[in-house]
Amino acid sequence: MSKDGNMTIHLEVWQQEGPNEKGHFLKYSLEQVTPDMSFLEMMDVLNTKLIKEGKRPVEFDHDCREGICGTCSMVINGDPHGPQKATTTCQLHMRSFKDGDRVVIEPFRAKAFPVIRDLVVDRTSFDRIQQAGGYVSVNTGNAQDANNLPVRKQDADMAFNAAACIGCGACVAACKNASASLFTSAKIAHLALLPQGQPEREERALAMVAQMDSEAFGACTNTGACSAACPKEIPLEHISKMYREFATASSRKRDS
Amino acid sequence: MSVNFEDKIPSGPLESKWERARNDYSRVNPANKRKFDIIVVGTGLAGGSAAATLAELGYNVKSFCIQDSPRRAHSIAAQGGINAAKNYPNDGDSVYNLFYDTIKGGDYRSREANVYRLAQVANNIIDQCVAQGVPFAREYGGYLDNRSFGGAQVSRTFYARGQTGQQLLLGAYAAMNRQIAKGNIEMYSRREMLDLVTVDGVARGITVRNLNTGEIETHTGHAVLLCTGGYGNVFYLSTNAMGSNVTAAYRCHKKGAYFANPCYTQIHPTCIPVSGHYQSKLTLMSESLRNDGRIWVPKEVGDKRSPLDIPDSERDYYLERIYPSFGNLVPRDVASRQAKFRVDENRGVGKTGVAVYLDFSDAIKRMGEKAVSAKYGNLFQMYEKITGENPYKTPMRIFPAVHYTMGGLWVDYDLQSTIPGLHVLGEANFSDHGANRLGASALMQGLADGYFVIPYTLANYLANANLPEVSADQDEFKDSRAEVAAKLDKLLGVNGNKTVDEFHMELGLLAWDKIGMSRNEQGLKDVISKIGELRNEFWQNVKVPGEKNYKNSELEKAGRVADFLEMAEMMANDALTRNESCGGHFREEFQTPENEALRDDKNYCHVSAWEYGGNSEKPSFTLHKKKLDFEFVELKTRSYK
Amino acid sequence: MAKLNAGYFKSTVGQKQIVGLMGLLLCGFVFTHMLGNLIIFIGPEAYNMYAYKLVSNPLIYVAEAGLVAMFVGHIVLTIKLTIHNKKSRPQAYAVSASGEKKTTLVQKTMAHQGIIILVFLILHLITFKWGTVYTVEYDGLVVRDLFQLMVEKFNQPLYVVGYLGCLVILTMHLSHGFQSSFKSLGFNHPQYEPKIKCAGFAYAAFVGFGFISQPLYIFFFL
Repeated sequence: MSKDGNMTIHLEVWQQEGPNEKGHFLKYSLEQVTPDMSFLEMMDVLNTKLIKEGKRPVEFDHDCREGICGTCSMVINGDPHGPQKATTTCQLHMRSFKDGDRVVIEPFRAKAFPVIRDLVVDRTSFDRIQQAGGYVSVNTGNAQDANNLPVRKQDADMAFNAAACIGCGACVAACKNASASLFTSAKIAHLALLPQGQPEREERALAMVAQMDSEAFGACTNTGACSAACPKEIPLEHISKMYREFATASSRKRDS
Repeated sequence: MSVNFEDKIPSGPLESKWERARNDYSRVNPANKRKFDIIVVGTGLAGGSAAATLAELGYNVKSFCIQDSPRRAHSIAAQGGINAAKNYPNDGDSVYNLFYDTIKGGDYRSREANVYRLAQVANNIIDQCVAQGVPFAREYGGYLDNRSFGGAQVSRTFYARGQTGQQLLLGAYAAMNRQIAKGNIEMYSRREMLDLVTVDGVARGITVRNLNTGEIETHTGHAVLLCTGGYGNVFYLSTNAMGSNVTAAYRCHKKGAYFANPCYTQIHPTCIPVSGHYQSKLTLMSESLRNDGRIWVPKEVGDKRSPLDIPDSERDYYLERIYPSFGNLVPRDVASRQAKFRVDENRGVGKTGVAVYLDFSDAIKRMGEKAVSAKYGNLFQMYEKITGENPYKTPMRIFPAVHYTMGGLWVDYDLQSTIPGLHVLGEANFSDHGANRLGASALMQGLADGYFVIPYTLANYLANANLPEVSADQDEFKDSRAEVAAKLDKLLGVNGNKTVDEFHMELGLLAWDKIGMSRNEQGLKDVISKIGELRNEFWQNVKVPGEKNYKNSELEKAGRVADFLEMAEMMANDALTRNESCGGHFREEFQTPENEALRDDKNYCHVSAWEYGGNSEKPSFTLHKKKLDFEFVELKTRSYK
Repeated sequence: MAKLNAGYFKSTVGQKQIVGLMGLLLCGFVFTHMLGNLIIFIGPEAYNMYAYKLVSNPLIYVAEAGLVAMFVGHIVLTIKLTIHNKKSRPQAYAVSASGEKKTTLVQKTMAHQGIIILVFLILHLITFKWGTVYTVEYDGLVVRDLFQLMVEKFNQPLYVVGYLGCLVILTMHLSHGFQSSFKSLGFNHPQYEPKIKCAGFAYAAFVGFGFISQPLYIFFFL
């Protein structure tokens, strides 16, 4: 480390022109990285240098930079959102790295998340899972008074924990099977825990699982890698809940 | 072309204006609704709720967002909560009180009738969101919990931990998803609106760029709803998302929509200070922190001791000193300005000297670390993640940052802009927050506009407007596509030496310095000429790498910064012509001896709506004034002493 | 009883549950198999008579058919799911995860372990079920002398090493499989999860230790 505490980081960043082109790693040793920089600010500095050198900057997804929108992705040295627990890439800071570190940055890799360019992937498969049933069918204006249905605090808190999912896709990126089970189960669990979610509870579980299966995600093998990588620490137990909900719904389904 | 510049406020008593309006509005027959294509740009709380609700009613909705999914709009980052006068805590709240606090909080620069309507529908919003499954905080009995927020003297804020915006947005997103699945909403994500298409002066479509492929597309519709948020990123550093921008609204402005009160910007007092030149954005921490944290600076100028070594007697708890009755809970503009004064007096703290302390040691002594952690744990964790400091041990360092913009496209009571057919919702319009927005009101306004206002007012527009068929092949649309493509080519063609971000940073520093927390005539005049120079340099020396037919973030940013370079000038003009201090607009020449804002109700109780002229390199702005009539509340000096 | 619809069996969730259910039943089989085999510590006669009573019971055919069905169900569906899972990430990461985000080796290689166990199972059946038939007579009853076959096999050092290797893999497979099956079947609750995990490890260790003790006993003491 230099005297001022700044570091040199040896970056290897995935670049891929388009969805159907082959990718490669761009190697770049970035100097003057300060520990207080966020990881994405380090990427900004990299891009400014690349532009100044007449090279193409790296495309990466990012937006709120405060860990809530779920836009940023990236797999950093094999870890979705980097090494820090419960932290999105945008909240990761360079003090998590040491001077001279080699940092390999890859996109989220999954068949259901095709690469658009460089580190930017297409996560619309997640939207389609939500569209299959991740809602309560209540038209605007239908609602009764908000306090008419009390909800046990424990259930409300659990529902909140499930609903805290930011839809970033780290669970898929981390899973050896690229399974979307944690993502799908979080929404099923959120609504199954609340009285408002009851009327459509079974249809929702059936439809969302069917959509998840049709999107080229793998199946769950309960390794827990998803939950460990989840920046919002969505617990693995929701997946079991999804299994339960799905089995119950299947057993009670009537054709017609 | 006809300019729609009448407030259209219904007559009658305040309480029944909205009801009267709804009774008088024309309606669209259910069978006819599906014949109308409604373009909704933006999928935040306003856009998401509007798209879902209109689709439920049977309209054909086309929804657009720049993000990869509608769920990622920046409403998601709102932390604190959403107000409603449910009066569940039985502490004397009412629709009138909510209305009054909001009008007063806005320093009497908002429209009475709009604010009253907002307070009225707020209760419906809570009902609707709970019905959607939004997991608001609850008490042990299972009923909804409320907290006091942002200086309110009643507990009327509903919240979902520190993620209220996220949960409300996911509710609206879910409602949209239901309609997308039914085919009532056609969703276009990763599309950036770059132009409004008008036919015979009426908004009939938009031109967008597909951000994945670079393709320029036009979409036709019978009405356009703009729900694209605020322009806080003029300042480069703000609490907005990196992608938040003014381009969609600004391009409408260029097409003739008046822009109202652009100088009203809100600076949020509790943000994490800047740490270095590479800083890309600022992170807000919920102002609920001010409920238990005490704000102070050292009494001694230039005291560089560690905060733990400064004894209580040598600390200045300046908000408690100046405002004994509100203390640390004064409104955002007041708290922010006082922090700036301390830094200007060279009493700022931390390495950079541009921060004040927010201290929890007394709260920890009083409630215990566990209770403090239960209340603020996630915020403390966030602070530690970003700064590497433990706020349980040393006081937090905070400094104000740009957070919200109260100004926006001018709209009438029906949310229609000066361009017929163009409706503007949420932060993108100007009407409800006046010169300053109170905490937990933004979520309320976005959802009020989308769920409960636009469904009625839009029907009235559609039922009465004469809307002949249009096609994307006709000249207006072709011209728009060509114009948009030419602008992109122009940006790519400059091929200079400075990056887009470098220009944006420079603009941000200029704006923060002169159009930020406090403004003066000379500074504003200087900054107008400096912005002009920077804009000229931009068009001669910007370097935009890459191609237009691929995902190209630099090209996206370049177009947005070009608009910010014009927007900033309009803001400065607006600030310069408003010779008073009110809410978020503080002119140094207009203050009381105690440094409080000095409003001039006689001469400035109006909305300043700006009309665009000129071109990208040399814009010009013409001021139109619209008087604000206060029939029901008496204009008073805000006092939080 | 309600009828499960076809969607259930087509879904990855349904298939995983069947794999888990079959797995748990097989866990039960492995457990009783191990317990039965512990009879070798009592002596040759006890062991051979136990084996004789087992195979002479007509219900053995039903039990065997059930076992075959469980194995086939477990294996076929796992193969199907594994192929599906492999396809869902066509391009592998250049660097693999570390720290808490890492998948353990045992979890990562469940399918590989399964293949080894399947091969082992077939060889095991060839050796002991369909292998050399020695006989012995107890009180005029001629029964198969499996004990002798075991002594013969488990005195070959290479055979023992291979056998032990397979048992270690089986133990690993059971240790993740046991708790994973519970999760697939919908049992996962913070209050019980650590206990199930513990039970899974205890079960796998007990079964593994029980099985491993047998060839070692024969190799060193007989």
